[in-house]
Amino acid sequence: MPEVVVSIGPHHPALKEPVNFKVVVDGEKIVRLELDLSYNHRGIEKAAEQRDFIRVLPLMERVCGICSHSHSTAFAKGIEELMQIEIPQRAQYIRTIIAELERMHSHLLWLGVAAHVIGFNTLFMWTWRDREAVQDTVEEMSGNRVHYAMNEVGGVRRDLTAAQVTTALERLPNLEERIKKYVDMVNTEETMLIRFRGVGKISREEALRYGTVGPTARASGIDYDIRRDDPYLAYADVPWNVVTDTNGDVYGRTRVRIWEVQESLKIVRYCLENLPEGPIHVPAPKNAPKGEILSRYEAPRGELVHFIRTNGTDKVERVDIRTPTLANWTSVAMCLVNQNLADIPVIVAAIDPCLSCTSRITLLDIHTKKTGVMSLDELIRRNRSRDHGQV
Amino acid sequence: MTEMSSPEVMTGKMKEFGITEQVRKNRIRITTAPDRVHYAIKTLQAMFGFDRLITISAVDNRTTLELIYHLTGPHRMVVSIAVELPRDLPAIATVSGFLLSAAIYERQIHDLFGIVFTGNPNMNRIMLNEDWPSDEYPLRKDWKPGPDTFYGGIKVKRS
Amino acid sequence: MAVPAAGLSQRLVNWARVRSPWITVFNSGACNACDIEIIACLMPRFDVERFGILAKGSPRHADILIVTGPVTLKQASRLQRVWEQMPEPKYVIAMGACGAAGGAFQGLYHVMSCVDCVIPVDVYVAGCPPRPDEIINAIVTCLNLLNEDAAHGGKEWRQKKVCPVTGTDAETGKVIP
Repeated sequence: MPEVVVSIGPHHPALKEPVNFKVVVDGEKIVRLELDLSYNHRGIEKAAEQRDFIRVLPLMERVCGICSHSHSTAFAKGIEELMQIEIPQRAQYIRTIIAELERMHSHLLWLGVAAHVIGFNTLFMWTWRDREAVQDTVEEMSGNRVHYAMNEVGGVRRDLTAAQVTTALERLPNLEERIKKYVDMVNTEETMLIRFRGVGKISREEALRYGTVGPTARASGIDYDIRRDDPYLAYADVPWNVVTDTNGDVYGRTRVRIWEVQESLKIVRYCLENLPEGPIHVPAPKNAPKGEILSRYEAPRGELVHFIRTNGTDKVERVDIRTPTLANWTSVAMCLVNQNLADIPVIVAAIDPCLSCTSRITLLDIHTKKTGVMSLDELIRRNRSRDHGQV
Repeated sequence: MTEMSSPEVMTGKMKEFGITEQVRKNRIRITTAPDRVHYAIKTLQAMFGFDRLITISAVDNRTTLELIYHLTGPHRMVVSIAVELPRDLPAIATVSGFLLSAAIYERQIHDLFGIVFTGNPNMNRIMLNEDWPSDEYPLRKDWKPGPDTFYGGIKVKRS
Repeated sequence: MAVPAAGLSQRLVNWARVRSPWITVFNSGACNACDIEIIACLMPRFDVERFGILAKGSPRHADILIVTGPVTLKQASRLQRVWEQMPEPKYVIAMGACGAAGGAFQGLYHVMSCVDCVIPVDVYVAGCPPRPDEIINAIVTCLNLLNEDAAHGGKEWRQKKVCPVTGTDAETGKVIP
């Protein structure tokens, strides 16, 4: 029976944006999930139509604070392709380095948050402390810990000095050691195995049908990675592997993400050691020719798509952003059916949502027609204190 | 079974759906009529191996509203099916019956553009807040916020 | 106006409040960068828990409310309700460029762009996003304000009459040009 707890407070700061779920339950089992994403809607797509290419890039960056470089690169490379300009190799490599550093920091962040959701705060603290090494590197290179503003249409804005490259390379071995430790932990630590194994399982056919992308899809065995399917930046030159797993549950997604951190580290090391000489940007024309492009990018959470249409002026006519979390929501809604109420935080956290943090969950019991309100905090506490019989 | 054809061959075969062109080395664009969309997507799924919907984009062309369905498959080609809808009564049948992932994109487009997807069971608000007036579609080109309309939020400063 | 000297119990309570402020974070439609910097404050690198600062989920337990994001239309009424639930003495920190006047999102159609129009703000922090060091500085400024308010017997001595962003008058709600 859902308890009637009036808790309109914001959620614990450990999770991100607010979103409202309406969960229709039958006792403890979930029947249906309804979604309301308007807490975070700001109207960016309309504003992008009124800003020229220099002014729109900071706006694109701030669509999301964790994958900010993803949005700005996806947009910049789309416009560059429409203008038919090739950016120099050094700029491609620098963009790749920042992109992979962003992927590392995002996955480490996610690992900490997932550990926090199951009550394993030690791992939360450890991963976020190791994440600071990545933040320091990015800060030296770009000047800010988040929102790096490295891109411009035509290349990158800042160059990497030899000293920055050396310092960055010196930080990598320590990080590599720590990540090996996390890989071991994910595979052997009892606390995590009990909570993650068997929870939120999606089979390969279901994942394909619901249109999942990113680590969520790769954990179900689908071989879909835009860096290899539609190569951009320097990914065609760097030796790296696509990481897949066959488990399909939260455990599988955790494994995929932590292995991806290892792959990203290899890519960063290769790019730093083999950084080509040359200019970092080419002059770009003010106006973009009339045209249309679908710019795809592999953000940390999955496939990010910018559909851009230009009309010959220095502003876009339309930019349509499809974030990976929107693609993965259908799978969350479907795989929550017939799961336990207390599994909601773990399953939602497992798709690494970039716009999900329930500020309030409304529960509707379909038999008694009673409604109750519970905050995610309550649900997490309930999740931890229950005896989880699943292994 | 999908036959691994080159994009040129595929472009030739898709001409039955409408105006087809190969815009990039791995992207094909088809322009078709609203009532042919279902047939086109189902055939592409079955015969050409496009099993995944990437997204549905909507654009306001000032005279018409345009919907573009982007599909891809294991052969890594992308096909974009473009449909134009009249501005005053934009309606098209939903594809979420056989493409489950389309439901959420259709809901979003309906909220922001006002295109009606007949047959989609869930057309509730997803992007705009609950106080937004029901006939204003912010992403259309001719929409400007009215100075006296209440769009949500709070009107009075705190006491 | 003569302020009565605080008794021993009141001074003890103030001392305890300053030594251990509890914060709660409200995300009013932000891009998340500010929220992550706040959580980074609690992590071993910056470690504010050694100062007694705890991040609580419920506003009823908090002294300081940190607001991130330009206030979206949907979140405006919720923000007001959250602020009303906090017990006095309460302080509000508006984070970043968004908290000041909407940041990158100023004027967009689903955004109010002005935290001060919804709830009274005590401290603004600059940055996009502000560094964890700057956030800690803001909390310390709040604590200094707490001491000053206790010495003056309340907050009235520094209440703004006019919102600095939109020019709205606090009492009448009219915009002063």
